[in-house]
Amino acid sequence: MSESAPPTEKKENAPPSSVSSEASDILDLRDDEGWEDAEPDEEESQFISLLDDEVFTDIMSMLNHCKDKYSFDFLEVRQKLGLDFYGNIKLVNYIRSQVHNGLPIPSDISRKDFDDEAFLKPVLEDDALLFSLDDLPDIVEAPHDAHDKGKGVEKDPRELISRVSELEEELRKIKFQFDGYRATVKETLDKKWDDQGASGQSGSPEKEEKRDDDSHYFSSYSYNDIHETMLKDSVRTDAYRDFIYNNKSLFAGKTVLDVGCGTGILSMFCAKAGATRVIAVDNSAIIDKARENIFNNGFADTITCLRGKIEEVTLPVDKVDIIVSEWMGYCLLYEAMLDSVIWARDRYLRPDGLMVPSHMNMWMAPIADPDYIADHISFWRDVYGFDMKAMQAGIHEDAQVLDMPASTLCAEPFPFMQLELHSTSVKDLVFKIKWQAKLKQDIDALDGFIIWFDTFFMPSRGDTLPEDAKAEEWASSGKKGTAFTTGPGGKVTHWKQGVLLIDNTANKPASRKAGEQVSGELEYSVPENNSRALNVGTTWKFDGEGKENSQLWKMR
Amino acid sequence: MADDKMQGLDHSEAHYFNSYNHHGIHEEMLKDEVRTRSYMNAIVQNKHLFKDKIVLDVGCGTAILSMFAVKAGAKHVIGVDMSTIIEKAKEIVEVNGMSDKITLLQGKMEEVEVPFPKVDIIISEWMGYFLLYESMLDTVLYARDKYLAPNGLIFPDKATIFMAGIEDGEYKDEKIGFWDNVYGFDYSPLKKTALTEPLVDTVEIKAVVTDPTAVLTLDLYTCTTADLAFTSPFTLDARRDDFVHALIAWFDIDFTACHKPIRFSTGPHTKYTHWKQTVFYLREVLTVQQGEQIKGILENKPNEKNKRDLDVKIAYKLITDDPMRQAEGACTYKMC
Repeated sequence: MSESAPPTEKKENAPPSSVSSEASDILDLRDDEGWEDAEPDEEESQFISLLDDEVFTDIMSMLNHCKDKYSFDFLEVRQKLGLDFYGNIKLVNYIRSQVHNGLPIPSDISRKDFDDEAFLKPVLEDDALLFSLDDLPDIVEAPHDAHDKGKGVEKDPRELISRVSELEEELRKIKFQFDGYRATVKETLDKKWDDQGASGQSGSPEKEEKRDDDSHYFSSYSYNDIHETMLKDSVRTDAYRDFIYNNKSLFAGKTVLDVGCGTGILSMFCAKAGATRVIAVDNSAIIDKARENIFNNGFADTITCLRGKIEEVTLPVDKVDIIVSEWMGYCLLYEAMLDSVIWARDRYLRPDGLMVPSHMNMWMAPIADPDYIADHISFWRDVYGFDMKAMQAGIHEDAQVLDMPASTLCAEPFPFMQLELHSTSVKDLVFKIKWQAKLKQDIDALDGFIIWFDTFFMPSRGDTLPEDAKAEEWASSGKKGTAFTTGPGGKVTHWKQGVLLIDNTANKPASRKAGEQVSGELEYSVPENNSRALNVGTTWKFDGEGKENSQLWKMR
Repeated sequence: MADDKMQGLDHSEAHYFNSYNHHGIHEEMLKDEVRTRSYMNAIVQNKHLFKDKIVLDVGCGTAILSMFAVKAGAKHVIGVDMSTIIEKAKEIVEVNGMSDKITLLQGKMEEVEVPFPKVDIIISEWMGYFLLYESMLDTVLYARDKYLAPNGLIFPDKATIFMAGIEDGEYKDEKIGFWDNVYGFDYSPLKKTALTEPLVDTVEIKAVVTDPTAVLTLDLYTCTTADLAFTSPFTLDARRDDFVHALIAWFDIDFTACHKPIRFSTGPHTKYTHWKQTVFYLREVLTVQQGEQIKGILENKPNEKNKRDLDVKIAYKLITDDPMRQAEGACTYKMC
């Protein structure tokens, strides 16, 4: 699905680079006394002397102390060695490590003494001196001036840039020629298919170039990141691949429709498995890349790419044998394309055709996670001395997308819904369902609920699936078909889980004992003002208590 | 109310402003200690500058900077933000007892009616990735030209972009090489795209192969929006024998008006910030020896269609006597 990730997730999903993705140590903030009142006197940096334990509030007093007491002139050494920024850092760390290890500082330090890259690592934690090196007086003969240094070479790079422009112009021309070529090919194909509607609906290349505001908006999801995230979600991609490659007989000689094809990976799996024809449809600009991928991998004769909404494009065939689609969204149904997949099934799938995947089992469970609550909710009580509880209020209004550890669950999960893709209808996607759970441990407070889904691929239409079948057990017990879970017990997927946090701010929640029963009614609904959003609400009540609670969360 | 204000914006704009409604972003920014603490120090430690002054907070978000300004003795603060977060900011200001000192306005800076003809100080946290991506600097400059009194102050008032070369073989392979074989298929069209998308990520100091060099310095008192499209030659001195897979960029921010000047850096040599660093992969790998130079030109301009996107070009040439290692090229990138 090319459109499922909320924009804020865009960069966050990328794994860290060659790197420490050291998160800032945020929790320290709340413990760090003196923050709250923001008094300048207490905010002063503390400069620990290079040569003993004395502490100073500014860098020059510290350096003068070293000079007066130990005749060690840091500035002079720095000047003499002509150190750059990193050289300074290494010098400081070298001195500190010598002092720390009780070793003498040589009277004539040379660069060699601290050449090792290891000296880039601070010896003292939060060494104020390292952060203030820039405050020191400049070394005579200023080291860096980009503009001056650049002058000598201006010519070469300028030439490069003009060369780039030439190449760009060439590329533009070639692109233009290619568009013309593509239009010709398209026309030929359309004629060949003898389908009068095809040329108009599937869009000539000129049409694809034109973007309205909508498609521009969607194009923000048409960049690599989101597809990389999905392709590298090996739980997801492996499951589709395994089912298709392990059931080649189902695909051999068949016509397949791929709804929301993205980069074309599922279409290519099907083609490789023996499908004679695959029609790949997507409304995002990514389809241009899919087309190139398909061409490069030699499937251009088998796979046809069409850009547009499935409800609007005209397929070159009337019926298909199989519909494959990766339509699932957060909490399964958020921004999901399932409506479109159902529409495509009703319009194009043969009566005996197969849906891939075929079943979804949806799960929910109550959670208790004091650490998460402290990090993300209590945080707002005191932000740099200010009360920001107003921010915490909203955290209970939206469903969060997070990967929670299995230890968060304080009861066995409850299977609240099964969608059978061959028969389910759009009206089944809004529902109210009763649920119940029994606490398996004592908890200080019920913090909320968690929702996930298991996806099953069954090889024939007639296959039934128990409503409480768990994907992780299904796969390991050697039953037919393929399955994967997005739950907290399994390997993390890009869907993570939907987390619904209970607003406990007004009333202090009661602690609960293992064995207590809780039950309620879960509701999925679509808000009137946005058909792509999702509302999830539930009621809950502990056995033997009169008070029923209820809360609604939005996914937007 | 808030939703009405969003109407009339085109989709990409509405998307930009709306994305700021998500809690996560504000939480991440507030928990960015380097950022928030630097602003706090710059404001609260300079009561002599803020006392009895009229202050404008451009893009106020949760209003934390506005509240710092009140703590520092400001007579009145006007906070302006386009995002619906301003509703939360109003609640926050109220519970902290500063409603009579802070006026919060939702809207574009260019359209709201500021209740003072001139302000003494402008405060703003406008910086984006690579300093300029999705930055609000143009809005700050507009506010400066329209509202800042002669001799008024801007916090912060100086920004400098730095570059350096890094060794990043393993990750480049994982990030870019991935597209060579995706589940047995050739995905090279996406590889081309991947090379044009700069990566925002943290870079370890030990990966840095060259000395850093400043490529752009903006003085907020004098710069204009025209300065945000720039072409800067640069020279990187190789500090050791190594490979260079990418050039990285980061920025430093200065509050020079402070009694004791305050600066923070978003570079690889210092503490983590949510801006991390921006990585521009080069198509080829440069093999450099200590003392050699990479000379080049960095070109940056807002995209013509969507001015919040940036078009970046980097032309480079390795200056070496070794004919086997001669290398030069030019890459274009799009931050979007």
